[in-house]
Amino acid sequence: MNGKVPSILLSMALVAGALTGCGGNDNDNETSSPKASEPASSGSPSASTPASETPKDEKPTEITIMLPLNTSETPPDTIKNEVEKLTNTKLTYQFFPADTYEEKLNASLATGSLPDVTYLKNQATFIQMKGAIRDGQFWEIGPYLKDFPNLSKLKEQILNNTKVDGKLYSLYIGRPLARQGLIYRKDWADKLGLKAPETVADVVAMAKAFTEKDPDGDGKPNTIGLADRNDLVYGAFKTLASWLGTPNNWGEKDGQLQPDFTFPQYIASMDVMKEIRDAKAMNQDFAATSKTDQVNLFTSGQAGMYIGAMSDVDSLNKDLVKNVPTAVVDTQALIKGPNGELSTWAIPGYNNVVLFPKGAIKDEEELKKVLAFFDKMMTPEVANVMYWGIEGTHYTVEDGKAKASDNKELTEREVKGFKDSVIGEAETNGMYEGYYTLEARIHAEEFTVENEKIAIHDPAAALDSATYTEKGTELQNIITDATYQYIYGKLDKAGFEKEIATWKSRGGDKIIEEFNAAYKK
Amino acid sequence: MVEDRTLAGRLFGIVNFALLALIAIVMMLPFIHVVAGSFTTSAEMAVKKFVLIPTDWSIDAYKFIFSTNTIFRSMAVSVGITVVGTLFSMLISSMMAYGLARRDLDGRQVFMFLVVFTMLFNGGLIPTFLVVKELGLIDNYAALILPISINAFNLIILKNFFQNIPEGLEESAKIDGCNDFGILFRIVLPLSMPVIATISLFYAVTYWNTYLNAIMYLNESKMWPIQVLLRQIVVLASGLDYSSDLDSAVPPPDQAVKMAVIVVATLPILLVYPFLQKHFAKGALLGSVKG
Amino acid sequence: MQQAIARPEPELRSESRLSRRLVRNKWLYLMILPGLLYFVIFKYLPMYGLIIAFKDYKPFAGINGSEWVGFKHFDRLFTESDFGTILTNTLVLFGLNLVFFFPIPIILSLMLNEVRLTFFKRIFQTIIYLPHFMSWVIIVSIGYVMLTMDGGIINEFIASLGFEKINFLLSPEWFRPTYIIQVIWREAGWGTIIYLAAIAAIDPQLYEAARMDGAGRLRQIWHITLPAIRSVIIVLLILKIGDVLELGFEHVYLLLNSMNRDVAEIIDTYVYTAGLRQGQFSYSTAVGFFKSLVGLVMVVIANRLAKKMGEEGVY
Repeated sequence: MNGKVPSILLSMALVAGALTGCGGNDNDNETSSPKASEPASSGSPSASTPASETPKDEKPTEITIMLPLNTSETPPDTIKNEVEKLTNTKLTYQFFPADTYEEKLNASLATGSLPDVTYLKNQATFIQMKGAIRDGQFWEIGPYLKDFPNLSKLKEQILNNTKVDGKLYSLYIGRPLARQGLIYRKDWADKLGLKAPETVADVVAMAKAFTEKDPDGDGKPNTIGLADRNDLVYGAFKTLASWLGTPNNWGEKDGQLQPDFTFPQYIASMDVMKEIRDAKAMNQDFAATSKTDQVNLFTSGQAGMYIGAMSDVDSLNKDLVKNVPTAVVDTQALIKGPNGELSTWAIPGYNNVVLFPKGAIKDEEELKKVLAFFDKMMTPEVANVMYWGIEGTHYTVEDGKAKASDNKELTEREVKGFKDSVIGEAETNGMYEGYYTLEARIHAEEFTVENEKIAIHDPAAALDSATYTEKGTELQNIITDATYQYIYGKLDKAGFEKEIATWKSRGGDKIIEEFNAAYKK
Repeated sequence: MVEDRTLAGRLFGIVNFALLALIAIVMMLPFIHVVAGSFTTSAEMAVKKFVLIPTDWSIDAYKFIFSTNTIFRSMAVSVGITVVGTLFSMLISSMMAYGLARRDLDGRQVFMFLVVFTMLFNGGLIPTFLVVKELGLIDNYAALILPISINAFNLIILKNFFQNIPEGLEESAKIDGCNDFGILFRIVLPLSMPVIATISLFYAVTYWNTYLNAIMYLNESKMWPIQVLLRQIVVLASGLDYSSDLDSAVPPPDQAVKMAVIVVATLPILLVYPFLQKHFAKGALLGSVKG
Repeated sequence: MQQAIARPEPELRSESRLSRRLVRNKWLYLMILPGLLYFVIFKYLPMYGLIIAFKDYKPFAGINGSEWVGFKHFDRLFTESDFGTILTNTLVLFGLNLVFFFPIPIILSLMLNEVRLTFFKRIFQTIIYLPHFMSWVIIVSIGYVMLTMDGGIINEFIASLGFEKINFLLSPEWFRPTYIIQVIWREAGWGTIIYLAAIAAIDPQLYEAARMDGAGRLRQIWHITLPAIRSVIIVLLILKIGDVLELGFEHVYLLLNSMNRDVAEIIDTYVYTAGLRQGQFSYSTAVGFFKSLVGLVMVVIANRLAKKMGEEGVY
């Protein structure tokens, strides 16, 4: 009983010590530091493209990596072993479930236990991390990129989007800029004599026709046009709005940046959605519909249109044909507005970034070795392994593209966990494009490329506003609510304007001011 | 059992029964839906929405879940933590509850207040994490047990029940030469089987549901209990991530899998309660001792 | 000193009694020691972290390295333009919980106790606690399937009777009923477990005696069963009152949408958007602190009231 007293005191002392801000100083993570045998000359020796030229007498670089888990289980070592061989590294992957990833990230940050390579979760987490970045918790890697031939291929514009105060701290995981479009039931369109919609008006007409004209021919009024969900951004609204020429989050008006909802096109977009909903040509409860239920509406054969990421067409089709074997889907993009405007919105080009904590990477030498690893990742050999798997086992090459094997479970288990960690994109890292057999998917890929030409970027993507960081999300609720309420007819134009005014008075004005100040620089 | 053969009594019994049966059915329905859904395909679920009897029988969902070692390993982990944790928690909770139930313990009011206080005030995730880390429990299964070894609510319930044991019994035990430990283990616990069974169940469920603590304290994914795996499947299948992020290059798992997961996750614990129900009949013992 | 033997000084008397008591009860103190240690280490030590409610906490700076801001966060909370609404919503949901949910497990356990056939009693017991094991995600999504205007079972039924479909999911009027019904459905059965444990301790001879005296079943319940579980009810009631501002976040969050926000936004969902989503730990801690404080005050009052009425309080 007496032995417990000293141990309590000891624990308390330890805790008191730990609570005094050990960010970055305390290093008790699982990483062993990379061997310091490499000369620190400019131009990392092992950065040349073909991985087989890696000198064999060098000891492998040991790297610990933390990233979100997007599959049910953590993958086995199959892919990891292959990557280690190709890059002369010894890797320790720490996966953590995506939906609690932020807690883990913050706890690790708070205790200085972030590993060498830290993936964030998404753009939102990145914004939260900017404070820590500014505080010097991470390495500024911008100046080093030029020493790495493959890393230098990363797209300038997207790198700019991830800079903090003009400095680059991260590598990005790339995503196609603009893959939003329309997925629709081609068999229904054919039956009703409709061709692929070219304008927004066509889209509305199709939605109505699908609802009223019994496209499935069963004599029952059980079909609707559009299935949407409770997401104004990745659901239908933003995409539809962009077809009507609405700016992407922020647009220029008289030389000043203004939020998208102050533009007349935004109101026009709401009117279009309202029209569709009032005509009962979309699911009435879309403001409460989850993605699952939205997908169900489509795959059960009830709804005929889906506006969102065109790449979803494969999985939609898979379940749809189980229920409706005769169904045919197609994708459509490049949809024009009433005045011929042709535009679509672009994401900033990345969906996640990688950071390099100073607490884990002790010096420049180590940093360069870690960067060397990523440099090799940007080669077809390594990128393909991490994205597609091992050729012959997980995929085969057809027409110069990667065709996933039929053994989906094997691929899911062994490869998918690594897919979201590949930096760059196919154009820059040389990995294979996907080989798709579904017509609609092939069209989707073509449209995605075409979309880039007409994509509207968010001018504020790389800018910072202190007020936005503090309360931007909560203020956005005002606008989101107002948008839904307008579409549902609970708010009229005057009411909407009033909500905008509320948004402005509660901090929106400051946000506009701050973004503009940053814009001018 | 006391029989009541008056008309009023019989009527009461029938109405009571009928109402309970109705309630039971209402409670059951969604559960049947989940079980039925797990035996069908996601395509059918899209159409039928609320499935009670699957027309398209398939055990694909279960095959998917059980096709790796991960599930067996993590289930073993969960069972281990639940058993050890429950025993440990019951031990120290009972001891503390009994001590605080004794009216002659000085300071018991203060102690109880301190306990209740912790139900209202909580240091938060990161400070607790810091404590656990400083105690060196990271990547140690003890981190899944120690930080939650006593639940204040459970403690209060135990104490309350222990208080109701007649003091006379304790007195006579003392005369027989028992010290306080003896009284607890030989008299009080046997007489408290209903509440012991109940609180054990509560602790068992908590340990079985361990999720966040596993993520926070165990970096080694091989050590994770089953709820991590299962919840990951459900969250992915629902497309439900609170920060509304999509954009993974990976499509989500089947809806039917989501249902199967729920069945697998709750079945073990569901089976525990009926076994515990046996102990609810022990009230009779008390009467005979008094007599 | 022969005088001292007859009448010791009062102070000396209580002191010696105290120290003697402590010694006599040494085993009891030993028994509560591990538990106390637990609370100190894992509950009170981390409470130091509450201090970030008064600071501008940055994880990388650590708790001590973060800047002190005093009551800034509390100020922000109270001057939040929707604070009144949010607080009201939270209190209303609490009220619904107290009035509609709280009595139900009690009633159910009484009903279960009256079932004479053990087999059915056990079956019913097991079935009604099943819903507790379903996560809110599942329950709300099943709720969606049943209540949606786009082919939901209930609305289809309503339509087939010739009435107009009801917008359960989006209209503000239906949020609270939907909420409390789902809470009752999920938790009522689970709540009976404790009461059943208390009822199990009742001496069956009491019922026998009551029957001899001619008491019907309702009277038996009123005079025997209920009083036996009274102390449990009081304890649970006091603890529930301490949860006045603490509602299930996940459940409400899943039901919340742009149309019903006026009635559905509670403190926890507000703090989630305003605090956690934007990485503001200090703010969310401050709000949590406020909730805890209110809860504490309520528990203290409730406990005192209970004791005045002659009951055993929670402490």
